[in-house]
Amino acid sequence: MSEPVKVLIVDDHPVWRDGVLADLDGAGHTVVGEASDGREAIALARDAMPEVVLMDLQLPHVSGVEATRRIVEESPHVKVLVLSASAEEKDVLEAVKAGAAGYLLKSATSDELVDAVVRVRDGEPVFTPSLAGLVLDEFRRIAKKDVGEPELTARENEVLKYVAKGYTYREIGEKLFISTKTVQNHVQNILTKLQLRKRYELMRYALQRGLDQAPE
Amino acid sequence: MTSQAQPETSAPERSRRTLVRGVLVFRWVWLAWMSFVAFANPADFRRPGVAWVSIGIAGAWTAWMTVSSRRWDQLTLWADLAVCAWLIAASALVVFEGDIVDQPFFATGYPLTAALSWGVRRGPRGGLAAGAALGAVLAATRPLNGVPLPDLPAREVRDLVSGIINYLVAGGAVGFVSTLLVRSGEALQRATDELVRERERAARLSERESLAREIHDSVLQVLALIHKKGRELAARGDVAPSEVARLAELAQQQEVELRGLILRDPERVPEGTTSVRADLEALARTIEGVPVSVSSVGPLWVERRVAEQVVAAVRQALVNVVEHSRASKATVFAEEDDGRLLVSVRDDGVGFVYDEAALRADGKAGLLKSVKGRVEDLGGSLHVTSAAGKGTEIELAVPLRGER
Repeated sequence: MSEPVKVLIVDDHPVWRDGVLADLDGAGHTVVGEASDGREAIALARDAMPEVVLMDLQLPHVSGVEATRRIVEESPHVKVLVLSASAEEKDVLEAVKAGAAGYLLKSATSDELVDAVVRVRDGEPVFTPSLAGLVLDEFRRIAKKDVGEPELTARENEVLKYVAKGYTYREIGEKLFISTKTVQNHVQNILTKLQLRKRYELMRYALQRGLDQAPE
Repeated sequence: MTSQAQPETSAPERSRRTLVRGVLVFRWVWLAWMSFVAFANPADFRRPGVAWVSIGIAGAWTAWMTVSSRRWDQLTLWADLAVCAWLIAASALVVFEGDIVDQPFFATGYPLTAALSWGVRRGPRGGLAAGAALGAVLAATRPLNGVPLPDLPAREVRDLVSGIINYLVAGGAVGFVSTLLVRSGEALQRATDELVRERERAARLSERESLAREIHDSVLQVLALIHKKGRELAARGDVAPSEVARLAELAQQQEVELRGLILRDPERVPEGTTSVRADLEALARTIEGVPVSVSSVGPLWVERRVAEQVVAAVRQALVNVVEHSRASKATVFAEEDDGRLLVSVRDDGVGFVYDEAALRADGKAGLLKSVKGRVEDLGGSLHVTSAAGKGTEIELAVPLRGER
């Protein structure tokens, strides 16, 4: 049994929070706080000292994506694991760009949830095949549009495609004759490049709109 | 012409502007004629200075009216009236006493344009009022030139009266035409607005209808089923967990479906195509026994005929997974690469040794016939990777012609 994980649960449905709390409690982990909107989540991520934030994206006041951005900015040691319904994947991609360390569907079983919380705490990026598809799409669009932005290496592309096909990190390692840890590193690098891309986007926006022109 | 963007103009304003441009042409013609007549007879002037200054004022004013024709306001109209009244009055001052009736009229027809402008901007009443004011000044030119009105011979009284009538009629008639144009412009605008609103309403209505139809066809049917089933299970009391799980699964599928309907992109669907991702997601929801997730690079718009065959092939592959693999989950991945549609069906089941001859001998040719046949009909190929205990991956590659 691994070290218990300190978790902050963010969701606007109390029933859902209760269910997740019971799952985590049952597996021996500690829920250090519960938040029902983005603003509360940002404050509790600072004050309650969680290791992992379980983040819903459809939140009142401050969105889950914005809350993720602020939490990663203010408390970089805290890992954000996004839990969301399948139709919100565009938002999931935004959350990952904002610094989320992983993504799990709300339909995941209790065991999968508990497992993902531990893996994220231990620094392993948690990915679903469909998110991998979105990320591949994102990088292909970059390749068409811009030079100079971070692109995927051939190996990273290969790894990502296997994730999209439903292979586990261990299976990918066996296929490519590399260690599971190396596969995880590749996935981590892909996420970092995705976050870098977000920064490029902001920078380009600033260059176009702001720097060469005084505000009116 | 300024490069500044002009605000959108309404139909009535556009028809007014046409008239304004017409009046501007008159101004320049009269200005040219006035200058020509003055230059032709300089010796006839008692006050040449007043004559040249007046022509200068008329020239400058015409230029200004032309430049500012898009933003004439109240003040412009009054200034115009003043300039034209001055030109009439000047006609009496520049020629020698008593010459007003014999010499060519110094202001020529230029003052008429003030009556026209008032008519254009202020309708028949504005036009008539401006015409009356100009007429009054015209009447005053006789005494100004040293010929008291009562002393005017009958012929010159007739001339004077017809001059005054000219101003009145010009202002009133143009005012009337302007009002007509503006009204018909407004009517046209109203009709156009109404048409646009009607179109938008029809579009919204049809969007709502299609949404309602889809909700009715899918979500409502299943909700009714869940309702009925739930009551039956409750009434029965002793219920197997798998039956409750089945119900939960149905509810979850509908949640996904409903979200999809609400959040779907109003993306334009290329003619004759369908989204392979959406079709595969719909297929995944119909597969029971093994949870199937779908991932794809983009929506993948593909010619409908091709997509149908591919989805049918994937269905057969998934049925095989459910029946033979003992897998805990399956993933379908689709992408477009180098003009080909690539679809992979991957499970984490027991795997097998792929040998066409052996499969045929065992009578397990379903996969072969269905999947391979369909893919080859489309000019594509099939590739199977499997090993005992390592799951199975089936990859389909189908060429796409031109379409994105």
